Amino acid sequence: MKTVQSAFKFHGGVHPQYNKDLAASKPIEAMPLPKQLVVSMSQHLGAPAKCLVKKGDAVVKGQLIGERNGFISVPVHAPVAGTVAAVEQRMGPAGGWADAVILDVSEDQSAAPAFLPPLDWKSATREDLLARVNDSGICGMGGAGFPSAVKLNPPPDKHCEYLILNGAECEPYLTSDYRTMLERADRIRAGVEIMRKILNGPAVRIAVEANKPDAIKALEKAFADIEGNVEIVVLPVLYPQGSEKHQIYATVKRIVPEGALPIAVGCVVENVGTVAAIADAVEKGIPLTERVTTVSGDGVVEPKNVLAPIGTRYADLVAFCGGEKDGVRKVISGGPMMGFNVPHLEIATTKTTSGLLFFTSAKVFQYTSNACINCGRCVRACPMQLNPAFICSAVESNDIAAAQKMDVMDCIECGACSFGCPAYRDITQNCRRAKASIRAAAAAAKAKAAAAAAK
Amino acid sequence: MTAIITAILVIAGIGALAALALAIADKYLAVQEDPRIGLATAALPGANCGGCGFAGCADYARALVAGTAAPGACAPGGDAVNAELAKILGVAATATEKRVALVKCCGTRSEAIRVGDYNGICDCSAAAATAGGDKGCRFGCLGYGACANVCPKHAISITDGLAVVDKRLCIGCGKCVSVCPRKLIELVPASATIHVLCNNPVRGPEVTKVCGVGCIGCHLCEKSSGGKEANHFTFNGFLAKVNYENPPTDATLADKCPRKCIREDAHFETGI
Amino acid sequence: MRYLIIIVGAVLVNNFVLNRFLGCCPFLGVSKKTETALGMSGAVVFVMTVASAVTWCLDHWLLDPRGLGYIHTLAFILVIASLVQFIDIAMKRFVPPLHAALGIFLPLITTNCAVLGVAELNCKNGTPFLESVLFSFAAALGFGFALVIFSGLREKLAWADPPRCFRGIAVALVTAGLLSLAFMGFNGLVKLPY
Repeated sequence: MKTVQSAFKFHGGVHPQYNKDLAASKPIEAMPLPKQLVVSMSQHLGAPAKCLVKKGDAVVKGQLIGERNGFISVPVHAPVAGTVAAVEQRMGPAGGWADAVILDVSEDQSAAPAFLPPLDWKSATREDLLARVNDSGICGMGGAGFPSAVKLNPPPDKHCEYLILNGAECEPYLTSDYRTMLERADRIRAGVEIMRKILNGPAVRIAVEANKPDAIKALEKAFADIEGNVEIVVLPVLYPQGSEKHQIYATVKRIVPEGALPIAVGCVVENVGTVAAIADAVEKGIPLTERVTTVSGDGVVEPKNVLAPIGTRYADLVAFCGGEKDGVRKVISGGPMMGFNVPHLEIATTKTTSGLLFFTSAKVFQYTSNACINCGRCVRACPMQLNPAFICSAVESNDIAAAQKMDVMDCIECGACSFGCPAYRDITQNCRRAKASIRAAAAAAKAKAAAAAAK
Repeated sequence: MTAIITAILVIAGIGALAALALAIADKYLAVQEDPRIGLATAALPGANCGGCGFAGCADYARALVAGTAAPGACAPGGDAVNAELAKILGVAATATEKRVALVKCCGTRSEAIRVGDYNGICDCSAAAATAGGDKGCRFGCLGYGACANVCPKHAISITDGLAVVDKRLCIGCGKCVSVCPRKLIELVPASATIHVLCNNPVRGPEVTKVCGVGCIGCHLCEKSSGGKEANHFTFNGFLAKVNYENPPTDATLADKCPRKCIREDAHFETGI
Repeated sequence: MRYLIIIVGAVLVNNFVLNRFLGCCPFLGVSKKTETALGMSGAVVFVMTVASAVTWCLDHWLLDPRGLGYIHTLAFILVIASLVQFIDIAMKRFVPPLHAALGIFLPLITTNCAVLGVAELNCKNGTPFLESVLFSFAAALGFGFALVIFSGLREKLAWADPPRCFRGIAVALVTAGLLSLAFMGFNGLVKLPY
């Protein structure tokens, strides 16, 4: 085990104000159970889970309430004991609607939880461990929510050479991964050993940004006596260092091809929180039913890192942190660079909610877009080496085909282009619009072809 | 004098030679192309709207002559053009009814609530990607004009936060149908006069929370138009839909709807 | 060296479109998309080279010996027009792929002023056969060069939001003027033989 400095810098990137000190010093705090939870069936990337309960059913903690529905999908478990009040369509943080179980939380939480039997990872087979990850409903907790069991089970022709732990947490304000690394470094280590076994012993790289020296120390201590090829890679502070593709470049200098997954270059990237969740799922049999969420921003009385059951409504979460203050103007689920703007606080947390930020009008920037002055700042900032200025202009004049020719589909929507734009242009939003149009057109063409084939 | 004659003779000689060469080339080198392609292209309106599903009028004409398409798909041209095409191809014409786009929403700014301030780019799919859109109703028209932007005939205008189709200008090409992120634009027969302008299939109480003119599925329209047997309306969840195979004609239905989401044609032609 | 000077001179210094202002109609007409501009350039290179070879022969073997230099404009129009038509028909028959790529542009340039202009210039300067053909080829290259640059600009121009009175062809003409000014900068780069 050794600690090394990352030697590879990806192109572009920006330096936003991190503002992590608001919540960085606050230990993870478990919140008292709210009265009601809204557990969505679509908390991950891929097909929503199939709901297994109906109105009036009593459930216990850890009980399976949503079944895996397809290859890229994960099951959902009841976070607490309670009664199902309803199963209805609810809006998720990203704005999509999906079935959700409305759970009235029981006052009496003494019922035995329906956890799976603990496994000893040393004696268990690789298949058992993989099945456990699958059954525990674990998906990437960094943001995208890609099912972990799929990541950990690469196709037979691909071999995982590097397991990369993503502890960059490059989004401003967020400190949930930082606190996890600080307080649960031993769980991360257990998770690493389990994942190493599942992936047939790859080298391990733990990527942490240089602005988290305590986390690096805590990890060094926890991993001090680990065997095998394990390195802590200290990354330079740069947004979007936490993006999967850029992290792979910064740690092992490999470039993920266009449209491919990291396994194409022999890498598996997993968020540190997810790794700890895998350790709990295997060693203690606890499915993924709670997570650490950073509640921060200048519009919240007491910023905190809250350990809350999944499905906690945002209103309950902010109430636990002392409530709102100073007239909140904008609420963002996730980080300020890539997070989703939420219209109301009835939305509930999911497995991917890493933060909930409240901003007053002092922090919310009101602007009007001006004409592009061709300064090229976005081109320099784009970590995917696209030309955001041209893409934006093309999309604004409805020339989606030109945007597609300029590889807009490679855009990772990190927001680095809009961040530095002196003309305040909505570059990222235009890229998203182009991507949405291209995807919709592709889906329409596919549906048309399917209809023609059916004929 | 000789100079003029020489010049005339030389030019005439070159001309004659060239004409001869071209005539020979045309006779022996020409590639035969079906003359009907040219005729059919000429008969089509030339709007290149793509409503027939082909890349422009010439492409449709080629497909017609090749036999992979049938006349009758040209909505802008209407019956006259389709009859002409059928004559060129020597097949019986199939009558098509003119179809026009209908935006199935009447939730204007005053009727349908907006849950947030959206100040991003003015495009429906971008707005829909931002927290699901600012409109309280997740099925209703966002009013950021994606349909109006693609309309080749400028038949769609945005009035009070709502897309409105001018039936007289609409050629039924269906471009707006595919760009709408809410999928609430439908092509309906131009002859139908009564429409249900709502797209929200959820239960009544949830609809009334977000919109003053949303359909709650009370079936009153069905009852007042002669009951289930008359078959003028179909229902999808808690949403009434006009059965365009057999559309109602009774204009008083609009007044009978307790939610005022059934509108007579005149309303959507001239703006609500 | 002389050949190189001819090429540089025709492509950059005395660019047909931007310096001699010949062939302005296709320059504005088919410059909306780079793909069509490339197709057009290909067609022009082909036609100009062939046409200059034919007109040189016509001029030197038929018209000049008979002292008919004064009607060569008329004769050239006639010959070039029928030649292009002939090429169109023959290409369709024998090389359909090339026809599919260039075919739609061929009728557009039958009596293009650039094609006629290069023949006239060759006549006027009295250049030998090989140099005439090379000059025509280079002139056509210069035309294609300008056309492709301009189409790239116009593709970007389509995204701009100029004042209403400038939209479309107006701002395109302004851009063409600026491009022409830029090409004036090549003046004096080489000492032109003619």
